[in-house]
Amino acid sequence: MSSGIKRRDVSFGAAAAGALASIPWTGSVRAQTAKQAPFTIVINNSPWFNGFRKTVEAYEAETGNKVNLDVNPFGGSLEKQRASVRAKDGMFDLLIMNGLYYQEFYHGGFLTPLNDIDPSFKLDPQMVRYDNTVYWNEANKTHDPKGKLMSVPVNGNIPILLYRADLYEQHKLKVPDTWDDLLANAKKLHNPPRMYGIVQRGARGAPNDISYDWWPYLNSFNGSLFRDEPKGDFTITINSPEAKAALDFYIRMAKEAGHPQTGGLAQAQIIQNIVTGRAAHALLVIAAWAQMDDPSKSAVVGKINAARVPRSANGKPAPVLGHWLGGIPRNVPKARQAAALAFLNWFQGQGSQIKYMEAGAPPVRQDVLSDQALWKDPKNRWMPAMAESSAFTRLMWSIPEGSQIGDVLELRLNQAVIGQMTSAQALNAIADEAHSIMQRAGYKTGKIAALS
Amino acid sequence: MHTPYARRLTFWRRVALTPTLAVFLLLSILPLLNLAALSVHNVRWEEGRASWDYVGFAHYARLAEDQLLHTGMVNTLIFSVVAVSIQIVLGFFLAWAVSRIRRARILYRTIFILPILVPGILIGAIWKLMLNYDFGLVNDFLMLFGVMPQDWLGTPHLALPSVIIVDIWHWTPFCFLLLLAGFESLPQDLHEAALVDGASAWTELRYVYLPLMMPVILVTFLFRFVTSLKVFDEIYLLTGGGPGSSTEVISYTIYRTFFTQDQMGYGSAMSVAVLFAISMLMVLAWATGRAGRREAA
Repeated sequence: MSSGIKRRDVSFGAAAAGALASIPWTGSVRAQTAKQAPFTIVINNSPWFNGFRKTVEAYEAETGNKVNLDVNPFGGSLEKQRASVRAKDGMFDLLIMNGLYYQEFYHGGFLTPLNDIDPSFKLDPQMVRYDNTVYWNEANKTHDPKGKLMSVPVNGNIPILLYRADLYEQHKLKVPDTWDDLLANAKKLHNPPRMYGIVQRGARGAPNDISYDWWPYLNSFNGSLFRDEPKGDFTITINSPEAKAALDFYIRMAKEAGHPQTGGLAQAQIIQNIVTGRAAHALLVIAAWAQMDDPSKSAVVGKINAARVPRSANGKPAPVLGHWLGGIPRNVPKARQAAALAFLNWFQGQGSQIKYMEAGAPPVRQDVLSDQALWKDPKNRWMPAMAESSAFTRLMWSIPEGSQIGDVLELRLNQAVIGQMTSAQALNAIADEAHSIMQRAGYKTGKIAALS
Repeated sequence: MHTPYARRLTFWRRVALTPTLAVFLLLSILPLLNLAALSVHNVRWEEGRASWDYVGFAHYARLAEDQLLHTGMVNTLIFSVVAVSIQIVLGFFLAWAVSRIRRARILYRTIFILPILVPGILIGAIWKLMLNYDFGLVNDFLMLFGVMPQDWLGTPHLALPSVIIVDIWHWTPFCFLLLLAGFESLPQDLHEAALVDGASAWTELRYVYLPLMMPVILVTFLFRFVTSLKVFDEIYLLTGGGPGSSTEVISYTIYRTFFTQDQMGYGSAMSVAVLFAISMLMVLAWATGRAGRREAA
């Protein structure tokens, strides 16, 4: 990426280098970011991509190393990654993998453990571990911290609640703690078609929209896909009364305070409604924040604030991990593996992470996320919500069959939202289909009694 | 009587065809055989390597129970029959009208074929914006007349008709071009004879042009029908098969099975079954056409 490097980026590079020199582990960083072979990153074009691109530019300016970016839509990136790792010689040296599908790369043995490339490489203690999803124990197929280090977090996407702070002030509303509070607030502000109380990501996605949006409801209503996945109990419980209560509430929210066409709204339309001032609330990934205060994209600059996702009356908040991990394939030359690792090593530095945040992407270092000095800056007013939410984050699943189950969820949940099925029918259908998928894959699985 | 010269000619003709046959085998038959082989296996990946587990006809047995595939087949048939029929009717009248124009015929022809020159991705972007519920031109226009906005792509009963309309916009020019070529190949003296007989334009169309154009219409219909069964880009770009399964079509189901769900064995079984069904349809159409021609003779 030789184009688009500005003087301030170069200045930042110098500043970042200075900052890096002040912390003890940077000796190896500088050694590794010495001249490296050009390498290619395959990445999705999500709302945080611009922040990542600018950070890559800063890396190039600082080190003189060359990085190529292969940018794709979400689904397209997955397809390219699969094709590359399954070939004899891989095209891509660093895969940016989503929290919903990285599992298949671990299970399939497509990645090189990072310490096989450089035994001295360490994940910085300040880097967030995201349910230990960076580790992999091949023997028992779990995210055991004693297993091998397979990836470095690249993005800490989790959903947060965005709300119109100006309208809250005007109507003297309190930031919602529970889903009921959110529904009450949304109903007060609901005045369609000029203002929707809430916009929900209810579309059948490719690959994930409605399931990602609904999962915080499911988990906080104490529902789950499996009875106890970490302990290997894959009994399907998605059609439990708790899950039904979560889905009924989600649909009720759409009907009473939502967009009339919730079943057709994907993430892009949610952002569109928020930034054009037509929606009072939305659950959105933190990466979308950069657009809220961008005057070239937003009509509500300075009017949006962020809070952690609500909880059910008798449950905990349950924001879902939609994070991204950087992993290095085994089928690329060693020089390119080393170059990709050198980049990851540089990327996890505090200076790089501050730059990353300033460029509009959520950082993945705890000391940056909890830096009170940064919190005071009004443009970072999302940070307290992110910090609070981080304590409750949960993974949707850790099995490689997630892409199949996700597809089933997207269809059936969407059918429930648009009224093609009742919530009970949709959840029973998901349970049946997920059970078949798990059975075919050889898991010890089962079903609970169908909802009536 | 086969003379030595005729035999030599036949031999060299066969030799000359060999490279073409080899390329055909390489590019068509081998991938099909590979697809068929894949359809009776499950593919697992371990330590970066694929292992194929033989599952017999288990994938084919699953096809019978796959409700989404069945919905996709029904939607595909509705889509193809409705879209192609309207395209043929519109294309026929446009072609007839343009064939009667003396001046600026090339200009009209150029204008009418513009939509097939637009790349699919642009068509998706243009129509997705135009049909947007909150900000789309179509709703803005309707609201001028007091009509409430509609979610053209997000409402189950409107989504498939909306995609059909986009397809008609996109592909009518293709039918128009083929049918115009048909009109232009008809002898001019037929038109003059009809004029002498005092036939009106409608009578001439109904009793002279329509019967003469029927073979061209049939070929155009069949050609377009087969290509419409493969519809993918419009669905992928506009609706993603939704809302629910309202715009699910076969090619999209296969795509999601192969690429989103990564079920290569099952996706291959779907592909082989669909290929077989379309081939049967084509054989049936060809046999019906042949029987019709025999009867006419």
